[in-house]
This record gives sequence, C-alpha cells and structure tokens, in this order.
Amino acid sequence: MFSLPGTRRIKIFPGALVCEESKLRGDITIGTGTIVHPSAIIIAEAGPIIIGDWCLIEEQVKIVHRLPFDQQNNENTPVLIIGSNNVFEVDAVVEAPKIGNNNVFESKCFVGNKVTVSNGCTIGAGCRITDEQILPENVIIFGSNCQMREGLDRPGPQTLQMETLAKMLPNYHHIKKPNMKKE
Amino acid sequence: MELRDINYNKGEYVETASGNKVCRQTILCGSQNIILQGKVIVQSEAIIRGDLANVKTGRYCIISKEAVLRPPYKKFSKGVAFFPLNMGDHVFVGERSVINAAVVGNYVYIGKNCVIGRRCTLKDCCVIEDNTVLAPETVVPPFARYGGSPGVQVGDLPECQADVMVDFTRGYYQHFQPIKLI
Repeated sequence: MFSLPGTRRIKIFPGALVCEESKLRGDITIGTGTIVHPSAIIIAEAGPIIIGDWCLIEEQVKIVHRLPFDQQNNENTPVLIIGSNNVFEVDAVVEAPKIGNNNVFESKCFVGNKVTVSNGCTIGAGCRITDEQILPENVIIFGSNCQMREGLDRPGPQTLQMETLAKMLPNYHHIKKPNMKKE
Repeated sequence: MELRDINYNKGEYVETASGNKVCRQTILCGSQNIILQGKVIVQSEAIIRGDLANVKTGRYCIISKEAVLRPPYKKFSKGVAFFPLNMGDHVFVGERSVINAAVVGNYVYIGKNCVIGRRCTLKDCCVIEDNTVLAPETVVPPFARYGGSPGVQVGDLPECQADVMVDFTRGYYQHFQPIKLI
C-alpha cells in the first residue's frame, strides 16, 4: 500500500462519519463506524495511523503520531495502530505509539509518546501520563496525582451514543465521503 | 479597580443587533439551536455544539478562547438522548474549559482549563477555580467555591458575589472594544 505523493492519503471505510471540519494530516486510515467530530486533529507525522472500528473522536482531540526523540532517524517507519471501540473525549491529547481496544481517554488527559496503552484502560479527566510504561489491562487512572487502580471490568461501549450521533451529525455537518470498499 | 480595555480587531468579530460579539473564528455547530440572549462575547476558537441539543445563554455571558460548550447526554434503556444546556446571566467561562453541564445558574465564574462533567448542575453564584475537574452529575450549591480534581468544595463566597459578577461581566463587556484607528 504505497501511495504516491499528491494522491489521497486519507482512507475512510464505509460507515465511518468524518466531519469536513476535522483536520487530518498524513497517511490515515479510518475504520467502519468511527465518528470524528469537527475540529478534531489527527496528525500522522512519523508514519501512518490506522484507526479501528467504532471509535469516537470528539472535538479538540489531538492524536499525534510522533516518535520519542531517541527513536527518530530510524529506518523503518512505524505504524500507529489504534484498536476498536476507543473513546477520545473533548481536548484529549494522545501521542501513544500503540493503543488497544475499549479504552477511554477522558477530557483534557495527556498521554505521552512513551506510553503504550493496552485494552480497557480509562485515563481520567485532566490526567497527564508521560513516563515510559505499558499500561496493564483495565487500569483506571484518576485524580490530580494520577493514581492508578485496576478496574473490575472494562468500560462499557458507547454504541448507544454513537448510534444517536450517527443519526444527528449528518444533518448539521458535511461528511467526508468514504473512499474505500469493504474488504 | 477599573479593567483595562481589551481590544479586538473589528474585522474579526460580528456584532449583532442585541449586542452579541461573536468571533468569526469560532465553531458554532447547528447555529439555529444556539440562543445568545444579548451582550454575550464569544471569543476566538470557542466551540458551541448546538447540533447536539439546544444551547441557551443569558445576558452578559463571556465565553473565552477555546472553551467548549457541549450539551450533555444521558443513557436510557433505549438509546441516548442529548439534553439542552442552559446558562444564566452574568456567567464567565475561562479559556480552554469544557462545559458539559445541564444547568449553569446566574453569576457563575468558571476558571481556565476546567472540565465540568456530564449533566452537572451549577447553582447561582458559585465559583469553579482554574484546572478543576468536576465529576459527572455533580451539583454545586450556591455561594460555594469548588476546586481540585475531582472537584470538592474549598471555600465559601460572600453574599455580594452576585454584585461582584454583575460588575465584572458588565465591565468586561464595556471594555471589550474594537481597536480604534487613529
């Protein structure tokens, strides 16, 4: 899948809702059912970004694919893979190199580019995590000191909200047309 | 103490007949569902999500730069409904704050970088300090000062808070003037 410069590098699968007012830069693939609100920013700087199915990306969210300083000048370009059913709430900044499934990034959280996010994690509102680590499954980060504890269950999916949004958003926004076919 | 003049470029703002000053660089989704009662200032890159539900503000509200007003949602057994966001008079919203509240009363001050969780109720005359995170469905009582993450009450406010906010928002509106070319 090499695309020549100048050709469309944003691939949208059918069923995804990507508002025109969102800022997408670089090589980005957006899976089925994913909703990208207006003024969300996704920047694929170091390499391609692949976003899975049924993700919810709200306004002012910044997903940046940027390598840590000591890993730059690497020959092979890494791919940022974001799994399915992730929720990115308003003004979350995520630079993680790998994100699993069913994670919730609450408002104004910051995830640095050395943090690997596994599955079912909840990063609370306003929490900043930057140290190099791999978040274990179902971990919840909360409070002003970024305390951590293990959740009993993974956060519930937002399918109900997304169904409502999928009905409402096309009435008010211009939606980018899907340009990929179902595999 | 008098506030100093805050100048803006006349080309960047639209002034309506009722005295609303709205920056052109804002993102107002679903503008038919947004009601600004008059003398409201909406500064650059603020986001008001009228597409989700109705957003209504009172008079003399100030929405600072990059603030987000977003109607809250509530889960029901059959799907999700978005609730209207009602804001009272003389409300100040600081820069980069996210307001997911259901009701914001009159004379409320919300600082910078706050997160007001889903379906919170802010009663009249309360102050939310900078960088506060209010958990979803919090009710902030009148004359309370909230701060921290998660937000808790950190103090009380004097009875004159309503007059303080009236003076503050009126002064802010009067000093928010276009740059005069000499």
